[in-house]
Amino acid sequence: MELNDLKSGWQNAGGAFKSEANLQRMIKVTNHPSLKRIRTKLIVETIGLVLFLFVYYDWFDGDKKPFYANLVLVVGLLLYIFNDVIGYISIIRPIMESNLKLSIQNYLIRIKRLSVFSLVISFLYSISIIIFFTSVINFTKEKGLILVGIIVVLFQLIFLSFRIWNKWIENLKQQVKDFNLDEEK
Amino acid sequence: MEKEFLKVIHDYQKIIYKICRVYRDSREDQEDLFQEIVYQLWKSYPNFKRESKVSSWIYRIALNTAIAIYRKSKILIDYYQAFPEHIHPSDEKTISENEERLFWALRKLNDSEKAVISLYLEEFNYQEIAEITGLSESNVGVRLNRIKNKLKEILK
Repeated sequence: MELNDLKSGWQNAGGAFKSEANLQRMIKVTNHPSLKRIRTKLIVETIGLVLFLFVYYDWFDGDKKPFYANLVLVVGLLLYIFNDVIGYISIIRPIMESNLKLSIQNYLIRIKRLSVFSLVISFLYSISIIIFFTSVINFTKEKGLILVGIIVVLFQLIFLSFRIWNKWIENLKQQVKDFNLDEEK
Repeated sequence: MEKEFLKVIHDYQKIIYKICRVYRDSREDQEDLFQEIVYQLWKSYPNFKRESKVSSWIYRIALNTAIAIYRKSKILIDYYQAFPEHIHPSDEKTISENEERLFWALRKLNDSEKAVISLYLEEFNYQEIAEITGLSESNVGVRLNRIKNKLKEILK
C-alpha cells in the first residue's frame, strides 16, 4: 500500500452510519458513556453517605462521642460528596482551546489540580472516619487489629486512586512532551 | 441550534468515525469515544464562530478529546502482530481489508503523529495543520516526513 493509497483510503473511509436521531441521543448528558457511570457512582455514594449521616448517631454511638469527633465525621463525609460533584462538573466542561497543543497543556494542569484535590479529600475523609471510630474507645488487641485493618484498606483505596490519576497524568505529560518535540530546538 | 448542529455532525460524521478508529482499538471503545466527541462538539458549538472551516473545528475538538480523556486499561492483545499473514492483504483484496490495514498502520503511531497524519490525509495544508495542532509550519513538515517514513516501514 503506497502513501497515495493511504490518502484515498482515508478519504473514502467511514460513512453516514449514525442517524440524526441517534446523534441527538448522544448530546444528552444522560446518555454520555463515562458521565453515566460517574453519575451513577455519585448518586449511589451520595445516598449511602446521607443515609449514614442520618443513622450513625444512633447506630455508632454518636451521642457518646465528643463533639469534635462528630464534627470531623460529618465534614469528612460532606467533603467526599463535594469531591464527587467537583469531579463530575470538571469532566462535563468541554476541552477547548485555540489549538491542540495548548488544549492538552491546559488539560494537564486541570487534571493535576483535580487529582491533588481528590487525593487530599480522600485522605481527609479517611482520617475523619478513623478519628470518629477511635475517639473515646478502650483499645483491646482485637480492636487495635480491626483499626489497623481499616487503615490498611482506606490507604489502599487512596493508593489505587493515586495510581489511576497518575496513569492519566503521565499519559498527558507524554502528549505534551510529544507536541513540544523539535519545537524547543 | 440543535437541529443545525445535528445536520452538521451528520454530514461530517466520517471525520469522527476515522478519529475513533485511529485512536481506539476495540469497537466498544470506539463507540464510547464517538459519543464523547459528539458531546464535546455539542458543548463547544455555541463558541464556534464559523471563522474556520467546519472540518477544522471538528478535527480540533475530536483530536483533543481522543488524546486527552481518560482511557480505560486494556488487556494488550495485538491480533495483528500475532497473525500477520491474515492482516497484510495483497492489493487485490477488498476495500474493507485495505481500510482495516490503513487504520492498523495508523494505530502504530504515537498520538501526536496520529493527529498530524490524520490532518494531512484529510488534505489540510501545512498552515492549517499548524493552526489546528499548535505546531510551527516547519515542524509540521519535519514531522510529516518522519511519519511517512515510519508508515512505509510499517506497511513494508
